[in-house]
Amino acid sequence: MENVQSQSAQTRYDKGHLAQRSSNQRNGAMKSDEPNPLADELAQLMMQVANNRCKTSFAKLFSHFAPKINSFGVQRLSQQGLAMDLVQETMSRVWTKAHLYNADKAAVSTWVFTVMRNQCFDMLRKVQHNREDAFGDDIWPLFESDDAENNDDDFLLSASLLQHVEELPPLQRQVVQGIYMQELTQQELADKLNIPIGTVKSRLRLGLEKLKSFMEKHYD
Amino acid sequence: MINYHPDQHLLSLHAKGELPLSMSIAISAHAEFCQHCQQQLDQMTIALSEQQFEQADAKNTAAFEKHGEFDDLLSQFLSSTLDTLDTDVRLANNSTSQPESTDNSVTIKGQHYALPRVFKKQINASWQGIGKVSRLRLDTGEPQARASLLHIAANGEIPDHTHKGSELTLLLAGEFSDCYNTYKPGDFMLLDQDHEHSPKTTEGCLCYTIVDAPLYFTKGISKLLNPIGDLLY
Repeated sequence: MENVQSQSAQTRYDKGHLAQRSSNQRNGAMKSDEPNPLADELAQLMMQVANNRCKTSFAKLFSHFAPKINSFGVQRLSQQGLAMDLVQETMSRVWTKAHLYNADKAAVSTWVFTVMRNQCFDMLRKVQHNREDAFGDDIWPLFESDDAENNDDDFLLSASLLQHVEELPPLQRQVVQGIYMQELTQQELADKLNIPIGTVKSRLRLGLEKLKSFMEKHYD
Repeated sequence: MINYHPDQHLLSLHAKGELPLSMSIAISAHAEFCQHCQQQLDQMTIALSEQQFEQADAKNTAAFEKHGEFDDLLSQFLSSTLDTLDTDVRLANNSTSQPESTDNSVTIKGQHYALPRVFKKQINASWQGIGKVSRLRLDTGEPQARASLLHIAANGEIPDHTHKGSELTLLLAGEFSDCYNTYKPGDFMLLDQDHEHSPKTTEGCLCYTIVDAPLYFTKGISKLLNPIGDLLY
């Protein structure tokens, strides 16, 4: 289904650059049922970048956003060199975080704006207070990116999960590691350890319950 | 029910990313308590992004003149930067380095408090305090403002004081009251120098505070405390 959509998007781009929204739509927030061809095109491009790492689509996003990010940067960071830095940093994040973009949660414009504002905030702190910190994304969580946070959390979660696996009693640890890290089947593991498969199952259940209680304690 | 909110002006500055770190933390934390303000911030962000990105930019001549620079940056992206970024991400994912600390809570006097998400990377000092009042300073790097977590144990109070500058208090847990009112978690109070107050709490409370100038304690015995007023806040 994606292919069909992206093809039709592709032919549209071939005709030329992206449409601008007419300025009479500017009052207030957009209503969600209002047709917005630009937003649809941007969303298609983001999908191409996220799913297919499509550089052509990235180039189109770049052409649309870069001058506008630059003008935001010129207002905010005053020095020209830094405005181009903001363009580079923001577009880099668009590329690396594209998979976190969720079209159901926000328009591409809003998402890119969030990425840009957060980046700009961190750059300003660097200029004004000589601070090399990156708090922007904590202050404004990438808006609509519940999924994004879950993904980040998954990464953190699995790291801390690994730690807790080490804390399991040896017999349970052996089974959990065998099933989830060496990806053995329960039968393979039972054969390898020379124990009945029922024992594998019960140790696994105990181990997982213990892990769950570790994690719950940790995240309370 | 939260009764005290940041005003529209503060919210819109926050959505634009124009507030200092200490105040951005306060607004962001308040919005975690307050769906109403969060929705307003979301709406503002949508409006700002449309204004920035979806409308024909009348004075985009500067961008036009810099066309070459954009082209250069883009071709650099396409020829190498994007691939480098992907490699970096893969490397970062492969090295199962230590997990970032996800502990986002503080413990003071045997009380354990979970903090709003925004404090995740901000807590890296220890508590200091006298009597029922404890303070944990946040290092925001701003010379003009001091941001802290302030804990007042049950039945504690802060001596009467006015503010030389303004003072922001965001109640994170528990309750406290002053001569004006009783406050609940999420309440966002910005007081200017004309207010004199002496917050007290019966069940104990945890606040996030910013003061942007030294406090002056104004009453009786607490004058003795004046030199260490800085310690408390």
